[in-house]
Formats: sequence, structure tokens, C-alpha cells
Amino acid sequence: MNAITPTHFLILSFLLVGIGLMGLLVRRNLLYTLMSLEIMLNGINVALLAFSRVGNSLDGGILVFFIMTVAASEVAVGLALLVALYKGRKSVMSDDACLLRN
Amino acid sequence: MIEITLGILFLPLLSAAIILLFLRDKADLAAKVSVGAAGGVLLASLWLIFAGHEESFTWNTRWFSLGGWELRFGFLIDGPARLLLFIVSFVGFLIHVFSLGYMADDSARPRYFGGLSIFMFSMLGITLADNLIMIFVFWELVGFSSYLLIAHYFETEEASQASRKAFIVNRVGDFGFLIGIVLTYWNFGTVNLNELADLADFSPDLASTVLCLALACGFVGKSAQFPLHVWLPDAMAGPTPVSALIHAATMVAAGIYLLVRIDFLFTEQALAAIALLGAAMGLYAGFCALVQRDVKKILAYSTLSQLGYMAAAFGLGAPGLALFHLTTHAFFKALMFLGSGSVIHACHHEQDVFNYGGLRKRMPVTAYTFLVGVLAISGINFTSGYFSKDAILLWAYNFNPPVFLLLYSGAILTSLYMFRLYFLTFEGEPRSRQASEARENSSFMTFPLVVLGILSLFGGYHSFFPERLASCLSPDLISASVLPHHLWMIVLGTSAWVVGLSLARMLYGQSSPKDSLELRFPGFFEICRTKLFFDEIYEFYVKRIQDPLARFLEVMELLFISGLMVRGSAGLAALVSMLFKTLYLGKIHLYALWFVLGALGFLAYAAGMFGR
Repeated sequence: MNAITPTHFLILSFLLVGIGLMGLLVRRNLLYTLMSLEIMLNGINVALLAFSRVGNSLDGGILVFFIMTVAASEVAVGLALLVALYKGRKSVMSDDACLLRN
Repeated sequence: MIEITLGILFLPLLSAAIILLFLRDKADLAAKVSVGAAGGVLLASLWLIFAGHEESFTWNTRWFSLGGWELRFGFLIDGPARLLLFIVSFVGFLIHVFSLGYMADDSARPRYFGGLSIFMFSMLGITLADNLIMIFVFWELVGFSSYLLIAHYFETEEASQASRKAFIVNRVGDFGFLIGIVLTYWNFGTVNLNELADLADFSPDLASTVLCLALACGFVGKSAQFPLHVWLPDAMAGPTPVSALIHAATMVAAGIYLLVRIDFLFTEQALAAIALLGAAMGLYAGFCALVQRDVKKILAYSTLSQLGYMAAAFGLGAPGLALFHLTTHAFFKALMFLGSGSVIHACHHEQDVFNYGGLRKRMPVTAYTFLVGVLAISGINFTSGYFSKDAILLWAYNFNPPVFLLLYSGAILTSLYMFRLYFLTFEGEPRSRQASEARENSSFMTFPLVVLGILSLFGGYHSFFPERLASCLSPDLISASVLPHHLWMIVLGTSAWVVGLSLARMLYGQSSPKDSLELRFPGFFEICRTKLFFDEIYEFYVKRIQDPLARFLEVMELLFISGLMVRGSAGLAALVSMLFKTLYLGKIHLYALWFVLGALGFLAYAAGMFGR
């Protein structure tokens, strides 16, 4: 059994981003959409930390903190919008939020 | 001086503006304003002519400039300008007064008097202008006001068609005039009349025959000479005072005036062409006038013929004689038009001479003044027309026999159709109810007739003219008076009107409802009636050549410009938008998908998958 190499981290990161992307494209529930976005961001975080470790530099780690901060505030805003939407039309499905179309 | 001149020019414009803007529903006040303006112009003109500078003077200022090119607005007051200024303001004022009576029962008087004021403004502009471009601007303005006034009775098909015909035919001539102005500027580098005269004097080769003939196109259009004469007879659809003012005394004479203003440019060939053209017109219009039934059309053709005499005089190198005939013609032709207007007014707008008759007893003032006009135009000895016309005939006799022959035949015809008109209208028995109930008109209408009648009788004694007016006439008249064959000419001239008078007496002396010329010489009558098919030729040209060409061009325009280029480019944009509209479904997932696909595309491009 070999040691865990950066490649393994990158594969994990790729899988996480892929799962998030699929969730984003397939799910109709906006709550799930938000969660998928979080998964994608964390997948990117994993890749950044792996590069940071390989490169012996703190830059990646610092960027991860920024991403986490942004992700936290984004979720706060996203959930607030979601609540507002639910109050308006008793649904959190994205198909119901298509007033501009017509 | 300048203030007075500016006042003369802009007073009628002011009056037109006041009438057309504020007095549309106050007919009496509008008429008074217009007549007052004409009177003011007359007084100021008399002051300018008699109390102003001795010599000619000129003044100009910048109108506007484009880049380095400057258009100037200015006046050139010299002999011809003084004479025409006098004619325009004097005859114009009399006709304004006559209009008070003639148009008294018209419902659109403000429009009529406003139009008259606009006309006075434009005509005075031509008279005073000192450069060709300014003349051209006012030239167009008289064309416009003529259009406006011909179409006074626009409810009738005839008047509205005639106004358009006059306008369009004039455009044809004015186009040539414009080309002539451009050519002049090209050759001489200036359009100012004084500078042109100096340059032409200094280097005569600068002027060319083409240039002269292009400028003469303006004259041909405005003075209704061959081949653009077709508009003038139709223009008689307008009110009669308008015909007297615009289509007899002043506007059509502006063509001759233009020629006199630029006579230093003319080459031998151009002069010869104009002389022949004018003489031919003098004869041709006589034949046409002979068979007309409408009193105003007879006078219109007679105007054409007299303008031909003036053109011939100019072409034979005697612009002074042309101006002299212009002056006397303005008096006696305005007199006859106003006389016919008086008759028409009294007979409730009946214009057919075969429905008149016996009017001398019912309308003595009109009849006797009209007779004076007839005598003058026929050249009865010692009337005004005798002096001016026989001077031209004598000149032609000495310098150009073919032109003389044409003009002399024209003179016989002139007295024939004029006495025909007189006999049919005023002698014999009334041939219709309107004629038998006619009554003499108010003094507004008879006063101008009497004044013009006196001038028609005595207007030929140019030596009694004030020096200020006659200065431009004297040189040519003095040279004419010393020409040989003087006595022989008097015999010839006298025999011309005697022949015409006796022919008319023979044919029309007895009152008859049919034209006795038609009964005796039907073939000749028919030929004259066709007027050599000019209207038909133009109609053929417009219908068969111009219209198909226009339609062809229209199809090309529809196909290529508005179809392919305008609609085509808009259609392309619409097509693209339709394509992209299908992408816009309002589903957030779809947008995410497009976004992902786009990101993948960028990645692929960055990885060099589309080649470098």
C-alpha cells in the first residue's frame, strides 16, 4: 500500500467538484442547489490545500480561508433569498421561479 | 439710402407675415395691410428713384459663409433696376387696389393678399439683387408665390393642376439656370454682377456660349419661352389680378430683366439663338391666340408673343429696346388683364368671349380703356406700343431680315387677334344672359384702368420720361432713331395694324355665336387649335418615357436599397435574435449548463484543442 500522494487529493477534489456540478444541474430544489455549490467550493479547497502542502507555501491555505469566508456569507445570503422566495410562493423549487420568462 | 432700400424689400414680407400669422380671419384688415404695404413700397421706391443718388450705387454685406466661401446679400441700383423698380411698385400698387374690388366677395381674401405681399417681396428681391445667387433665391420665391396664387381656387381641378404645372415646368428651367450659375462661378470665381462685368470686360474669353445658354434657361422657364411656354396659358386659372401682375407685367418680364442684367456675358451665337427663339415665339403664340375662346388665354398667348419681341430685341443687341418694350408692355398688358378682370367680374366669371358682346354700352370705362390697350399693343401710331414695337421692328429690319419677317408677321397677327377680342367682347349684341345683365364695376376697379390707360397712350414718349428712369433706355433708342429706312418702317408698321384691323372687322364685325374663322378656314383653324401638339408631346414624354423609367428605378430601389440593404441588414439581426431567443427559457439549470459548457469550451481552447 503506497502513501497518500497529491494525486489522491486531486482525484478527491475532482470527484467533489463533479458531484457538486451534477447536483447543481440535476436538482430542482434550490436548497440542494446551494448545498451542491458548497460541495464544489470545498472540493476546490481540498485541491488548494494539497498544492499548498506540495509547494511548501502558505498561499493556498490563506486562499482557503478567504474561500470559506465567502462561502459562509454566500450561504447566508442564499438562504435568506430562499426564505423570501418561500414566503412569496410557498415553494423552493427552481422551476417555480421563472416569472421573467413570461 | 440703404435703410430705404431694405425697407422697400422687407415691408411686403412684414405685411405677408402679419396677414398670414394674425389676420387669417380678418379679411378687410388683411386687405388694408397689404394695400398699405404696396403703397408704402411705391412711395419709398419713388423716393429712391428720384431723390436718391444720381448714379448707380451698390451695397452688400455678408449673408453667411461656408468655410472660405462667402455669400453676400446686397443691392445694385442702376438704370434697369430703377426702371423695373418703378414698374413693379407702380403696377403692383394699382393691381393691389384693383384687387380690393375684384376680390371683394371672395371668402379667402387674407390668403390672397398674403400671397400678393409675398410676391411683391420676392419680385423686389430680384429687382434689387446684386449677385446671381441672390437673384436665384428670389427667382425661386417668385416661382413659389406664383404657385401659391395660381392655386387660389384650389378647389377646382383646373387651378390645382395648373399651379403644379407652372411650378414643375419652372423647375426645369431653373435647373439650367442653377447650372449656369455654377459654371459662372467656376469660370469667373464670383457671382457679383459688378465684378462679373469688370471681368468679362477684361477677358472676354471667360464667357462661353454654353454658359450663356445655361443662364438663359432661367429666362426660358420664367418668361415661358419655347419650349417651356406650356405653363403660362394654364396659369390663367388663377385670379385675374394675379394674371395681370405676375403673368403679364412683372414676373414673366423678370426673365428679360435677368438677361439685361447679365448681357455682358453673352456671346454672338447665344444672342443669335435667343433672337431667333424670341421671334419664333412671337409668331407661334400669335397663331395660338387667334383661336382661343377664353379671354384670359388670348391675353396669355399675347403675353408670350410680346415676350418673344423683347427676347428678339435683346438677341439683336438692343437690351434698351427690350426694356422699353417691357415697360410699355407692362402698362398695356396689365391694363388689358385688369380690363378682362373687370369684364369677368361683371359677367359672373364667364370667360368665353363668344358669350360676351355689346359690353361697350354697359361698361363704358372698361370698354374704352380696354380699347386703348388694344390700340397700344397693335401698334397704332403714336400710342406706347407703336414706339416700342416699331423700334424693335426697325432694328430687326436693319440687322436681321429673317427675324424681322417673323416679327412682322407676328405684328399683323397681334392686331388681328386683339381686335377680334375687342369686337367679340364689346361690340355687337350680348350673346348670353350674363353679358346682357353686366354693369360697370366700382371705382376701385375703374381707377387703375384709367391710370394704366393714360400710361398706355402716352407711355411711349420716352423723352418725357424722367432722366433717372430713361437712362438705361436712351443709348439704344438714340441708335435706333438714326437707323436708315425710318419712313419705310412707319409705312410697314401702319399697314400691319391696318391689315389686322380690317381682317378682324371682316371676320368678327358681325355678332355671331360661332367663330367665323372656323367656318371659313376650318383646316387652318384646326392647326392653330392644336398649338403644334406641345402639350401632347410632353404628355407622351412623361407617360411613355419618364414614367416607365421612374417605375423601373422604383423597382430597383425597392429591390436593392430598401430590400437588400435596409431590410436585409435588419432581417439579419432579427434572424440572429430569433436563434438566441430559443436559448432563453428562464430555467436556472439550463443557464448553469450553458455556463458549464462555456467554461469547458474555454478550457478546451486554453488546452489548444482548436489549434493555434
